Amino acid sequence: MKNSKIGQTIVLICLMLLTTAAVSAFDFSELENSVSEFTLENGLTVLIMERHDAPVVSCLTYANVGASDDPKEYTGLAHMLEHMAFKGTTTLGTKDLDKELELIAVEDSVFLELRSERKKGRFADSARIAALEAAYDSARDASYEYVIPNEFGNVVEREGGVGLNAFTASDQTVYFFSLPSNKIELWMAMESERFLNPVLREMYKERDVVAEERRMRSESSPVGRLIEEFSSIAFKAHPYGIPVIGHMSDIQNYSRQAAKEQYQKYYIPSNLTIAIVGDVKSKNVIKLAKEYWGRMKYRPQPERLGTIEPEQTGERRVVIEDPSQPFYIVGWHVPNGTHPDRPAIDALADYLGQGRTSLLYKNLVKEKKAALNVGAFPGFPGNKYPGLVAVYAMAAAKHNNDELETEIFNEIERLKTELIPAEEVEKIKARAKAQFINSMDDNQGVAMQLAGYQTLWGNWHELFNELDRINAVTAKDIQRVAKKYLTKKNRTVGMINTEES
Amino acid sequence: MIRKQILSFVALAFLLTLAAGPGVAQDVDKLNFPKLNKLEVPEVEKVTLENGLRLYLLPDSSLPIFKGSARINCGGYLNTPDKVGLASICGTVLRTGGTAKWTGDEIDEKLEGIGGHVETYIGNTSGGASINVLSEYTDLGLEVLAEIFRRPVFEQDKVDLAKVKQRSIISRRNDEPMQIAIREFKKVIYGPKSPFARHTEHATINAIERQDLVDFHNKYFKPQNVQLAFWGNFDSKTLVNKIKAYFGDWVREGDPIPALPEIDYKFDNEVYYVHKADVNQTNIIMGHIGGLTTDEDYPDRIVMNNIFGGGFGSRMFNAVRSREGLAYSAFGVYTANISYPGMFYAFASTKSETTSKCVREMIKEIKRMQKDPPTKDEMRSGKDGYLNSFVFNFDSKGEVVRRLMKYDFYNIPDDFLAQEKEKVEKVSSDDVIKAAKANLRPDAMRIVVVGKGEDFDMPLEKLGLGDVTEIDITIPTGEEKKELVINDETLSKGKKLLDKAIKAHGGLKAYKNIKSVWRKATASLVTPNGEIPMPSEGIDVFPDKSMGFYSVMGRKIYSSIRNGNIGWKTDPKTMKLIPMTEEDLLKNNKQRARNTLRIFMNSDDPNYQAVYNGSGTVEGTEVNWVAIVDKNGDVICRFGFSTVNNELVCKTYFSEDGSVENVYSNLTVVNGVKVPMKSVRNVNGQKVMTYDLSEYIINGEIPDGTFSKPEE
Repeated sequence: MKNSKIGQTIVLICLMLLTTAAVSAFDFSELENSVSEFTLENGLTVLIMERHDAPVVSCLTYANVGASDDPKEYTGLAHMLEHMAFKGTTTLGTKDLDKELELIAVEDSVFLELRSERKKGRFADSARIAALEAAYDSARDASYEYVIPNEFGNVVEREGGVGLNAFTASDQTVYFFSLPSNKIELWMAMESERFLNPVLREMYKERDVVAEERRMRSESSPVGRLIEEFSSIAFKAHPYGIPVIGHMSDIQNYSRQAAKEQYQKYYIPSNLTIAIVGDVKSKNVIKLAKEYWGRMKYRPQPERLGTIEPEQTGERRVVIEDPSQPFYIVGWHVPNGTHPDRPAIDALADYLGQGRTSLLYKNLVKEKKAALNVGAFPGFPGNKYPGLVAVYAMAAAKHNNDELETEIFNEIERLKTELIPAEEVEKIKARAKAQFINSMDDNQGVAMQLAGYQTLWGNWHELFNELDRINAVTAKDIQRVAKKYLTKKNRTVGMINTEES
Repeated sequence: MIRKQILSFVALAFLLTLAAGPGVAQDVDKLNFPKLNKLEVPEVEKVTLENGLRLYLLPDSSLPIFKGSARINCGGYLNTPDKVGLASICGTVLRTGGTAKWTGDEIDEKLEGIGGHVETYIGNTSGGASINVLSEYTDLGLEVLAEIFRRPVFEQDKVDLAKVKQRSIISRRNDEPMQIAIREFKKVIYGPKSPFARHTEHATINAIERQDLVDFHNKYFKPQNVQLAFWGNFDSKTLVNKIKAYFGDWVREGDPIPALPEIDYKFDNEVYYVHKADVNQTNIIMGHIGGLTTDEDYPDRIVMNNIFGGGFGSRMFNAVRSREGLAYSAFGVYTANISYPGMFYAFASTKSETTSKCVREMIKEIKRMQKDPPTKDEMRSGKDGYLNSFVFNFDSKGEVVRRLMKYDFYNIPDDFLAQEKEKVEKVSSDDVIKAAKANLRPDAMRIVVVGKGEDFDMPLEKLGLGDVTEIDITIPTGEEKKELVINDETLSKGKKLLDKAIKAHGGLKAYKNIKSVWRKATASLVTPNGEIPMPSEGIDVFPDKSMGFYSVMGRKIYSSIRNGNIGWKTDPKTMKLIPMTEEDLLKNNKQRARNTLRIFMNSDDPNYQAVYNGSGTVEGTEVNWVAIVDKNGDVICRFGFSTVNNELVCKTYFSEDGSVENVYSNLTVVNGVKVPMKSVRNVNGQKVMTYDLSEYIINGEIPDGTFSKPEE
């Protein structure tokens, strides 16, 4: 949250779920066997991988809640909760809990009055708004008197925690940091407390911070603006079309009550997975997990989203005229991350737009020199529900989106009629293998993958099965999914056309 | 009414804590931690080959990966000011532009076929490379690295590609406001011409040629300037032997590398404003020059940084973000480099309407660093964080070995970090205040503000921080209107460019083979009432026969018929064909002389010279201008050839109508030569005609009587 990366997250998650495949020369079963899984009585899943190279450990909490779960009128609430999870607990971050809670209550009551008056729009009583605003400001200031700001983060950093951060995406919210491994108990204590006894303090100030984050990522950034428009037309029913950070008016209207309800619904042990990778002993980790996380009460998993994006019936297109340089993106609806077609779609994306030897890079960047960069990735904006496989391209100076689009579509049509050469399919698999091995090189990356697979598939072992899935892909499969999904009526196009100022 | 509600809400307050479980609240200070398992600082093996190449090796068999990193003593600071970007392009094309053994594309295929990576770059103060392959491909990785370092060929095509990318980066550089703020701030601190701040422009990129990259590489890529670090799954002895096989016969030679330039900095107050209309958030950055890693009080500054603006609980973060809610992004740091002074800066981005408020908060926090001694808690955060996380300096093998490589280059002791740690342990709150007083100058700061000034809460002038200078970030096009200079250099360059263009269009041989050309086209005359399409045909039989007509309402209107020394043209009054006068013939000769085909096929005729006439842009395409000059030194016409692929983009000349510009597009290959199927004619800046070819017949059968006067 210090630097929560919504945009990059999407890519990260894509990469995460792409890093696939196995290897003959290296024994993966050894890695796989070094993972322990344990489920607490309250439903919390604990994943541990022991690695004793250096006395450090990476820990994370993977919450199966994301922007897709935001309630109506409260877009961005999952992301707001991520911010609030850094605000401390009943013991961390307060000078006097009772007094602070009293004042927080006042703050809430004034804000709710103010909000309901504001929502009257042109019928609102401006004098009353002014009075409430004054009261609201002083209530905010009053409760702030009892706050020890950022104490949660301070303790983590002081004790040697590094990389304290979190991110929210459409599918999930993930919290993480690494510690010297002798302090695993500190993580257990603080992280469980964070979700067991949180205090949503400074919430109304934090809304302003989130509003600034929105201005930075979406409103003052040309590509940010485009992606928001693009997603909103790509999905007409499913919340994948809603920006993770939320709409500005919703951000300004969050109430503590709404945040609390969302929190109580999703931050329950059966909806969380914790992953610990590093210089620890599984037995000890499980003991500590029972002691600290075991304090949370069992609650059944929250009901999942029922909205299904209807089949698209015609191309959709959004064009932003903007003084900034051209940017082009096109996406096609594809099934979710566990669908049997996905390995072929992932392979297709790799062949199409990942690396210097990919089809589009060779054509648009190397040969035509019409693009500065081009890429393809599946699973936008998530993998839990059917999302998009997307291709983006940045026109080189003096070139335009129309040129790029024609080339992109031509290449895709070619893929539908010509089979990818067998040796290219082998290269896709070789890359997947190398990527997979490299992804095992970093404790936090491994923790993220284990928890991610556990949440998406319900079984972390699937991480180690990716190799089999990708190795089973044939050139025909790739052609089949290209024909099936990369159709005109199934696509959405977004672009920034440079407007001369 | 508000008061009344307090009581009723107190009851609810308990719920607001969201207490989900019965557990007892934790006091983290009471936790007892076991001792940290001993940190085995891995031992790095150092080897220097006879030719001066230095190696740093750290085996690690946990995964079947072979990784490496190289450091080359060179950098962008060595570029001359007219060729900023040279080193960076060299760093790119080193990898993409092929080697004596493989083309760049072949290297791409080899590496991506095994999921491996070898990348190179040249930064401002050093160059580098990284390598990552599965250990079964160690040999291939090493060989690629050796080829790239020792025998790069800098394929022209990849040089062009790198230049296209650089130009695109230039044209995109004003899109993201934070990037603008940081870029301009660096120039404000180090000076716009300083190698530590300057950046590329279209003109500097245009000036860079392949030969420049070859020269740069030859000068600096010598074994004594290169360090190689490897870690991963290998046996050191075997690896050293392999490295010797690939790099051992690389000859040590060349001059010492020039040192970095000195920085001359004078403390003062300056405020700069960059107008950005399409944002609702202001990016603010303020500060001054910084220090060196080797400064005596560097450890004090580590603690100072942590307290001031480093992390979660820092003063900047607490005040600007948490307390005031003014920014999402707010931080500050006094940076230091080993080889040249860093910068001190505080950064925040806030909505336009709180710009001045945010500026003031930031200054307040900087001033407070010199006044309010760090509290006990702040000292604890500032020091313990560094000390407790010290182990993370050693948790990655790559980090350990790369750090050592860097220290070795600068002759810094291997245990520099351990010494630093000892010093940080001893830093007191007094030391922090002392460091803040000695190093921070809130009274003399340079501030860069990027945003939409009309929405600010207060004009920047009124902040009382000094006069405001507006920085114009408009990107120079790199176009230069140059007088035609005929000298050896422009002649040789002009000839080269013309030859390249002919080559790009099919080659001189193909042109020499052309005996006749028959063009069928639609010429659309642009009139105020719209375009009038006129079918048109033209035939040339080289060297001296030509014919051209338009059809208007089914009737042929001849522009001219030439047959040797005689010819006819349509009389505009009577619309009848009349013989050409002496004057007409001369005019027609001039037209003939600027015929592109004729110039291309006669490019070896010593009576005509090609003269380089600078570069520019034609409807968005960068071109090199080449003037064709006759033996009297008169300009016949001027070609604009694409800087990217040398294709014909434009031809300009003067005729009795005025200044004519033909812009070509839709190049298509016919009988081995590339022909523009479309052209647009502009006269004195006005579009007058478009010309769409439907047929282009080379050496076809020409009907008898084509060049005789037809029967009326």
